[in-house]
Amino acid sequence: MSDTPFTQLDTAGIARTLSQIAEQPADLADAFFERIEKVELPPADQPPGLRVWRESGLAIRLLREGRTWLAGRDQIDPEIFQDALRRVARAMPRAPYPLPDLGDDTWEEPPEAPEVLTFPTAVSQALRTHHIDFPVNLTVRRHRRWIRVVGTHLASGTESESFYSCDAEMPWARYGCLLDELSHEKAEELARRLVNLYRARDAEPPPPWRGASILGASATAVLLHEAVAHALEADTLAHGGHPEAALGVRMGSRLLDVFDDPSSAPSSVRRSADDEGFPVVRRCLLRAGIVEQPLCDTAWTRRSDRLTAGAGRRGNRHLPPGPRSSHLELIAGEHSRQSLLADAEGGLYLPEADRGRLDPVTGEFVLRFPYGRRIENQVPGALVGPCWMRGRLSDLLDKVTGVGAQTSAAGAGWCAKGGIKLPVWATCPEVRIEGVEIGP
Amino acid sequence: MSLGEPLLEVLDTLRRQSWEEVEVFHKKGRSRTMQYTLYGDSTSLRQEEGWAVRAGDRRRSFYYAASGPPKPSAFWPEADGSGLRLPSARPGLPWSPPSNLDAPLIGEGEARGFFSGLARELDHELQGARLLSGYLDDGSSESQLASSREIDSHVRHRVASLHLEAVGPSADTTSVSLDVADRDARHFSPAALARRLADLLLVAEKGPTRPRDRGEFILAPPVAVGLLAALSGLWVGPEAEKRSAMLIDRNGRLGSPALTLIDDGRLPGGILEAPVDGEGQPTRRVTLIEEGSFRQPLLAWWQTPSSLKRSSGCSLRPGWRDLPSPSPTHLFLEADPSIRAVSLIQNLSRGYYLIGLSGSPRIDPDFSRFAAPVSGFAIASGRPTGTVARAWLVGSVSALLNGIVAKARDLTFSSIGGGMVGSPTVLVKGLELRQQT
Repeated sequence: MSDTPFTQLDTAGIARTLSQIAEQPADLADAFFERIEKVELPPADQPPGLRVWRESGLAIRLLREGRTWLAGRDQIDPEIFQDALRRVARAMPRAPYPLPDLGDDTWEEPPEAPEVLTFPTAVSQALRTHHIDFPVNLTVRRHRRWIRVVGTHLASGTESESFYSCDAEMPWARYGCLLDELSHEKAEELARRLVNLYRARDAEPPPPWRGASILGASATAVLLHEAVAHALEADTLAHGGHPEAALGVRMGSRLLDVFDDPSSAPSSVRRSADDEGFPVVRRCLLRAGIVEQPLCDTAWTRRSDRLTAGAGRRGNRHLPPGPRSSHLELIAGEHSRQSLLADAEGGLYLPEADRGRLDPVTGEFVLRFPYGRRIENQVPGALVGPCWMRGRLSDLLDKVTGVGAQTSAAGAGWCAKGGIKLPVWATCPEVRIEGVEIGP
Repeated sequence: MSLGEPLLEVLDTLRRQSWEEVEVFHKKGRSRTMQYTLYGDSTSLRQEEGWAVRAGDRRRSFYYAASGPPKPSAFWPEADGSGLRLPSARPGLPWSPPSNLDAPLIGEGEARGFFSGLARELDHELQGARLLSGYLDDGSSESQLASSREIDSHVRHRVASLHLEAVGPSADTTSVSLDVADRDARHFSPAALARRLADLLLVAEKGPTRPRDRGEFILAPPVAVGLLAALSGLWVGPEAEKRSAMLIDRNGRLGSPALTLIDDGRLPGGILEAPVDGEGQPTRRVTLIEEGSFRQPLLAWWQTPSSLKRSSGCSLRPGWRDLPSPSPTHLFLEADPSIRAVSLIQNLSRGYYLIGLSGSPRIDPDFSRFAAPVSGFAIASGRPTGTVARAWLVGSVSALLNGIVAKARDLTFSSIGGGMVGSPTVLVKGLELRQQT
């Protein structure tokens, strides 16, 4: 077997076999092959040492008239494939096709991740440069995933993702982040964020404030994820009616041009096809604040020809796909950092948000910031403690009054909608927001 | 095929490689899940299988888990980090497995019928209310554990879980959710669940009453369970004794005489009942608090190495990917079989019947005070007179534990953190209700 899994799949044979269960013209049948590896270095005081999880499996899906049948297995083998196929078939032909060749499902490389082993030391060294000493229990993980989807008419190539997650536990706070690579720069960036949390640990939350505030790129990414991406997922929109009805609706300020583009994500997680094997698209979610195209998987595009597939994501092979974002982009505006800050004197500078939630039924929205800074003399100054932004989605996005000119990769994190954990990425500038209550 | 053969092969291979401590865990399961939404449903049939190894010596160790059956030819990761110590086999009490582990999984048609029946019942209970989504998972599993310390255990489980979300008839209502678990999905009653959802929706729709009030509070099982779980630091783990000591009064009591708290990994009828835990240690019934007096915390074997008699099998291992971790198995407030929940309400002259939590309770780091976001009904002379929503039940933790004056017989469990936490309906005095600002 080559280094890239699933290259030896007999895609024509799989497609022929799947065609047996796609009996009706509009049926969609596909086979999803998945391989996952996680390598974890736990905090120094916890046994065992290096932890490794390796798994592979497949799932057969049949989509018919709004219903989905799925059979997932934890091995890749022709007979297991055939059994899964039987489980989702509504009727089986009397003379089935021969079993397809699925190649060799053996891991050929040992589970080594030297970069994971050295990263905690790099973070400790970076912390020392700040002349601050505090206990940090750091867990570092490398995540790798390969998938391939073969349908009756379509076979994607093997898609792969590789990234890292870090969880830092301190006596006063926990901090988690996703990284596309482990490097000295990333260790220094993580150390800087931990130092900020340390310095803010006893800071008083700010009193309620409705004036101008600046969200850093990282906080903006979380805001967009919760307030734009989740709100424009077809299954969320369906709580209030047909998702198609959202097209053309004004959702936010004219300054907001928001895209979901998995093909422009950081290179190690960049995708050309989604978890349904459909080519990804640079999807304009909001153009000048108006909804242009919601996030959709195949099931939703079958209900409307105005909706576009390519945003189907699966938590794992045992779960059906759902419409989710992958890599959000907010197009840069015209404001320099100085001009954003100049118009927000006395307000809050909120560099990051650590959690948010959108109630899909009421549109009520909350975002939590672990700390912030009071803007004094046009620079972020005194620290303030944890605070929340609360409001209605319909009001909130309309309150963006300035978008920065400089974008950066920021705000990557885990999305846990519906208990399904997926990594999400973003590229954003800073934004100024006015008239939204931020308080303890 | 027996689970044991490939597992023992891995164990032997690693022992031959001179590892002093070796443990191999293998788990297989199958489940049917149905996801119901307003716009269609999806049915999944999963067959999951995986295994895990912990191996090491005094200086180094590793952990490896993989899907499929155990394979002695796997690439083991480099051993690093701390040393590893595994528990030895210990004798347990006699055990008879429950009789209903072999019931077939719920069928696709049955599951679909359940959701359509539930949606119908919900509309009947509260006209215009809609079931937004439902997730039903019915599964069975078997696992085997073998170690270099003579552990050889075999456990079977059967668990069904259900998550529901519903919305009320008015346009600006919030959604409510409900989570329940049972051994058999066929035990979920659409009519009973519809009533619970309708009550939660009714309370959410009608909204708040008084901004601030004291009185007697009847806590329905979901509220009491949420508080017990949030306070678990007082009775779970090696630090529990020290934390609880801060709340013990001059008579040596942590709570009222009505407070008896038990953890029982082999609770008859309990969803997770098993003879051993995820490390092969025998489960047992442990009284943590007896009639208000603190007896001992819940401890795994490695948390009390000098006094193993205090430990119980309480390391949970929900799946093959999970490392064993100490946690309540079936932790519950002992019920009073002589009292019906409805009689607690009927005898309440003035107070509140709190039926739901709208978020996680907040507990001060020193366990001095708590605040729980609650909803429910105002009660006068045993009858509901209004609703309470977006309110906080607040007070000192000591007042809560000492304020439990009665409990009913309706012991109900919820799945929390991989284990089960249970409580009957309880009557509590000495707390305060505040509106959320």
